[in-house]
Amino acid sequence: MKTKVLLVGGKSKAKSLAVSLLGRGYQVTAINDSHEECLKLAGINKLNVFEGDGTKPFILEDANASDYKIAIALTSKDEDNLVICELCKKRFHVHKTVALVSDPRKTDFFYAMGIDSVVCAISAVTNIIEQQAFMEQMANVIPIGKGRVQIAEIPISSTAPAAGKKLWEINLPKEVIIGCILHGDQIGIPCGDTKILAGDVLVLISGNGQELAAVKELTGRE
Amino acid sequence: MKKYLFKVHGTYNIIIGCGRLGANLANTLSDEGFDVLIIDRDKDAFRKLSPSFGGLTLNADGTDYDVLQEAGIQQANAVIIVTNNDNTNIMLAQIAREIFKVERVIARLYDPERDCIYREFGIDTICPAILSAKEIDKLLGQAAAHIREEAV
Repeated sequence: MKTKVLLVGGKSKAKSLAVSLLGRGYQVTAINDSHEECLKLAGINKLNVFEGDGTKPFILEDANASDYKIAIALTSKDEDNLVICELCKKRFHVHKTVALVSDPRKTDFFYAMGIDSVVCAISAVTNIIEQQAFMEQMANVIPIGKGRVQIAEIPISSTAPAAGKKLWEINLPKEVIIGCILHGDQIGIPCGDTKILAGDVLVLISGNGQELAAVKELTGRE
Repeated sequence: MKKYLFKVHGTYNIIIGCGRLGANLANTLSDEGFDVLIIDRDKDAFRKLSPSFGGLTLNADGTDYDVLQEAGIQQANAVIIVTNNDNTNIMLAQIAREIFKVERVIARLYDPERDCIYREFGIDTICPAILSAKEIDKLLGQAAAHIREEAV
């Protein structure tokens, strides 16, 4: 049976998420309290749409919320998302609840209230902007474990201090490892004797904000 | 950030939301000699307070942690949450209870159906619809008794 996902609220986010989830083979239902948004959502093939305020228990009941495995609250108000997720969890026993928050400081509070996954759009976006602005050479950074661990993609240019060196010759911070080296089409898992060549792309795993020091060591950039 | 200072002996209450209920309650508590601070993000809302109101007003968004800290929520004996939005009230009640560990939290909720959320948190709730229904029922009962008396 297909995994059923419930999306509550949200405008463009709900739309693009619905399209993406449907594409992956999930069964998706969207609840929205705006008639206009519902009409737009209804244009998406295979998407079930429900018009109503998702913070009201009877609307969730009409939508058979207890049949769903995942509920995602995407409204613009933190309090609405909290109530949606708590209702889904406590009353309809939805397996996993995900809430969007706009105030970054409420993230821990939401976790404490029993929500399984809390996504803070503002801190995610500011993190990305920071990385883009201060590390031109870092193409892609993925934060995991609430941002304590970072996975970054680092291209090595010919002028980089690490180019031509073996791994054991590089003095990386303790909490950083090079997980993978991409050399053209080849993918290699490095050992101490592996040589880094110009043009390689390194996949770096780092903890506790050590990535900047590591990037400096590898590429010479600050 | 400035901290408000309060008399040590008094009971300190914070009211969030200066609507008809919030303002009325603030006036009453202030008249009874309690220390009261009332928060509302709309400055004009404070016009509902009576001229004799002796408490403090704070014009800010009560869902902001900084505002709650500035209001001295940790020293409050009771926090009464009466904004016009149920979801805001639920969230604020949970923040007051779980983050700031306020002993007495009272929230007004229009819709009693969401009770499964706040039941386990030890938050006292007031539902105007249920209270009104009980009161009307009581009045009807009195009227009916009156008619019966006259008939006898």
